[in-house]
Amino acid sequence: MKDMVERRSNSTLLWGFALALGAMLCNMAFFIQPPAQGSIPWLSLLLAVIALVFVGKGLWRIFAPPRIHRGRILGTILTIFSLLLVAAAVFTFFKSRSLPISAGAPQVGQKAPDFTLADTTGRPISLDQLFRPTDGTPPKAVLLIFYRGYW
Amino acid sequence: MAISVDTPEISQDLSKKAGYSFTILSDPNAEVIRRYDLLHARGGPDGHDIARPAEFLVDSSKVVRWVNFTEDIRVRAKADEMLAAAKRLP
Repeated sequence: MKDMVERRSNSTLLWGFALALGAMLCNMAFFIQPPAQGSIPWLSLLLAVIALVFVGKGLWRIFAPPRIHRGRILGTILTIFSLLLVAAAVFTFFKSRSLPISAGAPQVGQKAPDFTLADTTGRPISLDQLFRPTDGTPPKAVLLIFYRGYW
Repeated sequence: MAISVDTPEISQDLSKKAGYSFTILSDPNAEVIRRYDLLHARGGPDGHDIARPAEFLVDSSKVVRWVNFTEDIRVRAKADEMLAAAKRLP
């Protein structure tokens, strides 16, 4: 009769996989505007950690005696995919934050170094030129935005 | 005004698509980016040297009045913070 015992399905592993997927999908939420955007990296890391807990618990349920849960093969596959997603989320977290210190960058109160660079039409533009009046009145200030670019 | 290592052509594309009216400058050899100590060595694809994200509000005497260095490339500068900094200027 013992063989007739039906093993329960293991939703914990599925939850772990969903959370791991969520941890990676977080990084695609480009449309979220600041200030909520600032919490995305931390949300991604948090989901990855919770996913690990669920996967661990799910694995335990499959392999630890008494084996009341089924799905050893599917469970193993789900675990591998979940762990890959978690690893990718954690890697993205640290990679996105590995920025140079930029200790030599101009600070508040310091002079902004001069420069001359080509604009989108190839015309050279200097920092001084940016302060020239465009429609009668000269600008009070100029915002310099350095960005990673689109290559 | 925005600066990146992109060529003028790529910047023009971006400017047109996004409908930007501000100046976009090209620093393909990252000379100015280095001068501002903002080089993210091998930060781009294929080990390309690019600029780390950073924003400076510079007044008409070329003195920096506000700066922002993000800790995470996924987190951009807040537009209302930049506007507030500009409004605080005399």
